[in-house]
Amino acid sequence: MVQSMETINVSFLTDSERDLILNVLRRDEELRHLEEKRVKRLKFELLEIRRKGAKRSSGNYSTRSCGRCQQPMGRLGSRTNQCPVCKHEVCQNCHAVRPNRAWVCSVCAKEADLKKSTGDWFYDQRVNRFSTAPGRDIVRTSLRKRPPTKKRETTGQVLLNSTELNSSQSLPVPRPRLKDLASSSENLQRSDTDSAERTSLSSSRADTDSLRNLTDCLSVSQSSLVHHINPCSEDFSDVDGIFKKSVRRVHKLSDFKPTSVTDLRKDAEEETTGSMGDRSKSVPGLNVDEDEEDEDIDNLVIMHRQSVGNSAASLRSSRSTLGSMMSVYSEAGDYDIVDVSGEIVFSLHYDETAQSLAVMVKECRGLAYADAAKKKCNPYVKSYLLPDKSRQSKKKTATKSKTINPTYNETLKYSISRSQLMTRTLQLSVWHYDRFGRNAFLGEVQLPLDCHDIDSAHEECVILRGKAAGSLAPSAFAQYKGELVISLKYVSEKKAPSEKQKAKKAKAESGGELHVLIKEAKNLSAMKAGGTSDSFVKGYLLPSKGKSTKKKTQVVKKTLNPHYDHTFIYKDLSLDQLRGVCLELTVWDREAMSSNDFLGGVRLSSGAAHLKEGKQEWVADSTGEEVSVWEKMMQFPDSWAEGTLPLRSSMGKKGK
Amino acid sequence: MTDGDYDYLIKLLALGDSGVGKTTFLYRYTDNKFNPKFITTVGIDFREKRVVYSTNSPNGTTGKAFKVHLQLWDTAGQERFRSLTTAFFRDAMGFLLMFDLTSQQSFLNVRNWMSQLQANAYCENPDIVLVGNKADLADQREVQEKQAKELADKYGIPYFETSAATGAQVDKAVVTLLDLVMKRMEQCVEKPTADAQNTDAASKLTAAPAAEKKCAC
Repeated sequence: MVQSMETINVSFLTDSERDLILNVLRRDEELRHLEEKRVKRLKFELLEIRRKGAKRSSGNYSTRSCGRCQQPMGRLGSRTNQCPVCKHEVCQNCHAVRPNRAWVCSVCAKEADLKKSTGDWFYDQRVNRFSTAPGRDIVRTSLRKRPPTKKRETTGQVLLNSTELNSSQSLPVPRPRLKDLASSSENLQRSDTDSAERTSLSSSRADTDSLRNLTDCLSVSQSSLVHHINPCSEDFSDVDGIFKKSVRRVHKLSDFKPTSVTDLRKDAEEETTGSMGDRSKSVPGLNVDEDEEDEDIDNLVIMHRQSVGNSAASLRSSRSTLGSMMSVYSEAGDYDIVDVSGEIVFSLHYDETAQSLAVMVKECRGLAYADAAKKKCNPYVKSYLLPDKSRQSKKKTATKSKTINPTYNETLKYSISRSQLMTRTLQLSVWHYDRFGRNAFLGEVQLPLDCHDIDSAHEECVILRGKAAGSLAPSAFAQYKGELVISLKYVSEKKAPSEKQKAKKAKAESGGELHVLIKEAKNLSAMKAGGTSDSFVKGYLLPSKGKSTKKKTQVVKKTLNPHYDHTFIYKDLSLDQLRGVCLELTVWDREAMSSNDFLGGVRLSSGAAHLKEGKQEWVADSTGEEVSVWEKMMQFPDSWAEGTLPLRSSMGKKGK
Repeated sequence: MTDGDYDYLIKLLALGDSGVGKTTFLYRYTDNKFNPKFITTVGIDFREKRVVYSTNSPNGTTGKAFKVHLQLWDTAGQERFRSLTTAFFRDAMGFLLMFDLTSQQSFLNVRNWMSQLQANAYCENPDIVLVGNKADLADQREVQEKQAKELADKYGIPYFETSAATGAQVDKAVVTLLDLVMKRMEQCVEKPTADAQNTDAASKLTAAPAAEKKCAC
């Protein structure tokens, strides 16, 4: 058996033995077919339930209706009726109590049940362990994106297929991911160890050989190998895809990859090594024009960082050319400050059918002069729905000339769902417009909308205040921006690293890899009309901010709960190095024509990492879950550490 | 013999040295019969059995009953089939690790089988039940119960002394394993927080912090 490197060599079997085993495998196949049918049926049932109810993020719904059956809910329902899993507000009828006494909504309950009855709980775990098949490129794409058919594949299946083709062939078996395979197997008797380690094709010099063998004769099991190598060739066929939340995403991804296979079973055989290499090269979903706007995004991040950072240090030190955009982050301060006086008169009205908030700015009274000596004052009113300080959120009235009692009677409209609005704060600020010099800040009001009457449209008169510089403690987490679900894994250095497909000697490995699986985000802020966002996640491994550490997911369109299922891989890292870096993940709303909008971010590190960024040195300010996930990842190499992290509303760093 | 009318398909696998009685054990379990002849298993085989599994709901009463279809994989203990049999480890949800109470050597090899499992099963700590078979042959006994119990405790797995010949404890061993698997399944899926949809190999690791997490709102 020593000659059977990395593969199951079945050539040692006699003919009669082979026949016996084949019979067993055929029986197994029958059972498997039965099971497949059953699983299909079950998943179809779920699909049906899904179709019936469930708000879609794209549609317009009243927040007072059940997220599942869409029956109206009483206003009295002050109890939390939010499903802890999908976050939909659901009525009592759509509750389902789970064995652990918690409750979830009916659809989530059905999903959980399905996970059990289809055996997906098992296959999902197994996938995690056997997925490092050859090549790092696989790992780059999501583990979860492996075709479901493949995920459920059993050894018996592989063996049967191959045996029927060519009975004396070696077959590939995915290799378990074991951090201490070497040490643990030392306990084994030698022959055991050998065979155990060699059942795998994933990590050895003989890869090339076994690959060649396979290509020669095992077309079916070769196809399975192809899937290993390139798990992003998804099977989007009908029911199998339903564990993916959004149907939209499916279309979306297939758009990105025109070569992608829709029915694996048919096309698997046609896949050649050529196409395999082709596809494994590129990260799915990263198309060209996205790259073009890269710099744009980077600038924004930098700006964002600066703006918040600066506000802490010196308020008005940076006279930047960013102009109007800079004033978006109004704390950054390219303006003159005057003693604030006066008041502003306005009214708010939320239009349920149009899902929009109308801010009627009537007038201001008794404003301060921007330049008291010259009696200069050309005031206009600007509004934001904080914490969103992006362009979408920014509205302005016309500028009135030479008056401290301007009358506007202008309506500023925001298209936003009521539930979203509850998380926002309306900021109305008054500015003096100066054609030649700086604009001057004349005062502002901030109205948290969760406790504000937005239905009656009655006129309000509020006294203007100065900058809420100190009063609004800028805790990055003060505002709920949604959550990001990720898994981290440190893949420790292996002696015989996986891909040596090419004859060339691979470069010497200097350490392990950090795998960052971006699973999904939940409850993102809506940036686009219709209350959705086209979001993607970007990652940096700080302190280096170069292209080298920048990674991005594909854009998932029209949802506030996007599933990315994308893995970033940072290579050549030692555990020690991990202590000194900080993983920054930011979520962005993709804007085709202009700069992307910031939706939130997280910063993962061991909490006290000192980072040097140019001359600036700072301490990574990771907190809570951000630290614990990171630590868990370091503590348990080669296993996934998962976390649901609240998104920060700003990524400002504290200077040292 | 099968139709699709069941709620769960659970795949278990018996492993252990050659001649410890894996095949007869499974035969006893599925057909309640005993075949004293020793016919060495070629590579792999499996048997099936339909059972009813009922959960205990939190308040102690018997909960829902599920139809479980068991696929019980039988593996060859012989060395020469080793590469073949270990490849099947990854498809099983739970394991019956068997040794022969009348063979000290088969007991000593349990340790090796454990490492094989850890290396090849679907996760590093799969559900395992340790089974000392041939308990009826008391006069030939080489492995003491205390010894075996200690080993099982070391691994944190249940231990049963069974006899395929008399049928003693055979059902108990399988049912215990099934129970472990079903509990694990439950754990995987019913995580209390929003993580519920994402089962991971690290499920145990994530469970703790997930519970700590209070509320994000």
